[in-house]
Amino acid sequence: MIFCKPTGKRLTILALILFLSTSIISVSAQDGKALFMSKCAACHSLDKDMTGPALRGIIDKAPYNGDMAKMSHWIRNVNKLVATDPHYMDLKAKFGGSVMIQFDESALPEPELEAIIKYTSTPVATPTPGGGGGGVTEPQGNNNVLIFGIITLILAVIALILMQVNSNLKKMSDDAEGISRPNPVPFYKNKAYIAIFILLASTIFGYLVAKGAIGLGRQKNYQPVQPIFYSHKVHAGINQINCLYCHGSAWESKTAGIPSVNICMNCHKAVTDYTKGPKLYSEDGKEVDGTAEIAKLYKAAGFDPKSPASWDPTKANSIEWVKIHNLPDHVYFNHSQHVNAGNVQCQTCHGDITAMDEVKQVSELSMGWCVNCHRNTNVNFNYDSTKGNKFYSIYEKFHKDFKNKKMDSITVKDIGGLECQKCHY
Amino acid sequence: MMKKVLIVSLGVITLAATTGCSKVRRSPGSIYAPDMTYSRAYETYAGLDSNKFTNDPNKAGNKIFYNHQPVEGTIAEGGILYSYPYKNDSAGYAQSAKEVNPLDVASLDMKEAERLYLINCGICHGSKLDGNGPLWKGGDGPYPAAPKNFMDAAMKSMPEGTMYHSVTYGKNTMGSYASQLTVKQRWEVIAFIKQKQGATGGAPAAAKADSTTAPKAKP
Repeated sequence: MIFCKPTGKRLTILALILFLSTSIISVSAQDGKALFMSKCAACHSLDKDMTGPALRGIIDKAPYNGDMAKMSHWIRNVNKLVATDPHYMDLKAKFGGSVMIQFDESALPEPELEAIIKYTSTPVATPTPGGGGGGVTEPQGNNNVLIFGIITLILAVIALILMQVNSNLKKMSDDAEGISRPNPVPFYKNKAYIAIFILLASTIFGYLVAKGAIGLGRQKNYQPVQPIFYSHKVHAGINQINCLYCHGSAWESKTAGIPSVNICMNCHKAVTDYTKGPKLYSEDGKEVDGTAEIAKLYKAAGFDPKSPASWDPTKANSIEWVKIHNLPDHVYFNHSQHVNAGNVQCQTCHGDITAMDEVKQVSELSMGWCVNCHRNTNVNFNYDSTKGNKFYSIYEKFHKDFKNKKMDSITVKDIGGLECQKCHY
Repeated sequence: MMKKVLIVSLGVITLAATTGCSKVRRSPGSIYAPDMTYSRAYETYAGLDSNKFTNDPNKAGNKIFYNHQPVEGTIAEGGILYSYPYKNDSAGYAQSAKEVNPLDVASLDMKEAERLYLINCGICHGSKLDGNGPLWKGGDGPYPAAPKNFMDAAMKSMPEGTMYHSVTYGKNTMGSYASQLTVKQRWEVIAFIKQKQGATGGAPAAAKADSTTAPKAKP
């Protein structure tokens, strides 16, 4: 027992020494990539000029030509060199006057700088093919209908021919037996046939006319070709950008805004190509080049990815997106009322947007569709004082009825969601 | 003869009916009563009849022009009386450190501020404010520049006025958020970030704004 203490002390000291030495070693051998990501990547990329120049292989280029001391000299004396050295003055001009932060020995020790420079000298990795997983799903054409139709037609024709044959044979046998009957009526003068034909034709015609008339002004499944192949699947699905990032006014106004070019450019000033996502296919099965689509945005924005600093946003033109969801002028619909006050998810009406490359209207947007939802949807009623929207405290009758168990829930219909003037005025 | 005609025509009709329409609906179809469907007055995002409307401010007198800028100094409903005095240049950036939050931070609705942060900022700067949002993903995301980590010491000590300057005008690869966040919303988001950082940074957040800036906005 007496010996325990000193041994314990010795052990802790040993452990301390071990820990210290390993931590010192780990600093010098620290991962250059991690350092690059935390200290440089906000402004520098390996292969792309961003706020600052691309850094891959920078140490082997002029004016460093492999001279680490020269590199270190620059990092430590940015503020001085940028005003005196012509090379850095040129760089400053090229990048729109932005100057790099100067790193002192304390902020970026020499071993860390060396690790970073080592990382920037790694050769370009072979580009991975666009994520795979593509492969167009073969259109599952509605071929069954066609096949059944043809079979029905063939059978009908066979039936007709057999009936003709039958009547001819009967006539022949009658002739042979010497019975004289009146000539058979041809089928197109047969009143029973004509009646059946008229009935069938008018049913089909009536059905088609009614269906067409109901469909007038309704655009379910409308999926127009947009001026730029903007994939909601890539942006809202894979990259998880919130709907309200671009369509922010859905929260506070009648209209869910279509983003202007500057909102696209928030990210696309830096994201200049499409390489990391899955292959894109248009609805018709054609492969789409994402990078070329981003180039269309640049054309509208008047942006040159080679000299980002020279971009003048005031010269940008708007992109004429094709409107998909259109309510007639005599219908009032307010997004904020549904999204903000009503807590309705965007997907409830717009479908699974995060899986759509090309957006398509999935809802009928007919009056019956609206009314059905108003009948079935419960409002966020404040059944008691702890939950629900306090706004509904003015509905005293419903509170009473709910307490007396006359009502078990309050729907949009109950608070006037079926009144004509709510939407038509 | 008659029979053949009938059979052929029926066949053609069936074929046309079943194969005529492609699976993808590229046309909006016809409408009943166009003048009830398409507004004659200007409606958001509706196509405009170029005979009556113009987007060129110089032709505003001859044709209908709806894109006038509001009178300078206009405050939107729910907005606050506040104007940011500094220009988008390096001098403005340096001076911005003096600016303080005109809102009464104590009475702010932080839930709303968090919502705004998660929608507009979290996508890059991360829902945990760690600079690792879905667009960056530790360098694996599509965005090539590393977003700032708000939990870094350097960001914790950044004055809120400088943050406001960057959000308003953009900084490095980050764009301006002036079109997505109102003045009030920008300050709300900054108050949220400062609260999460647990430090008030360079300028004391509770300092009163001087008389040239805004009175406290009602939440």
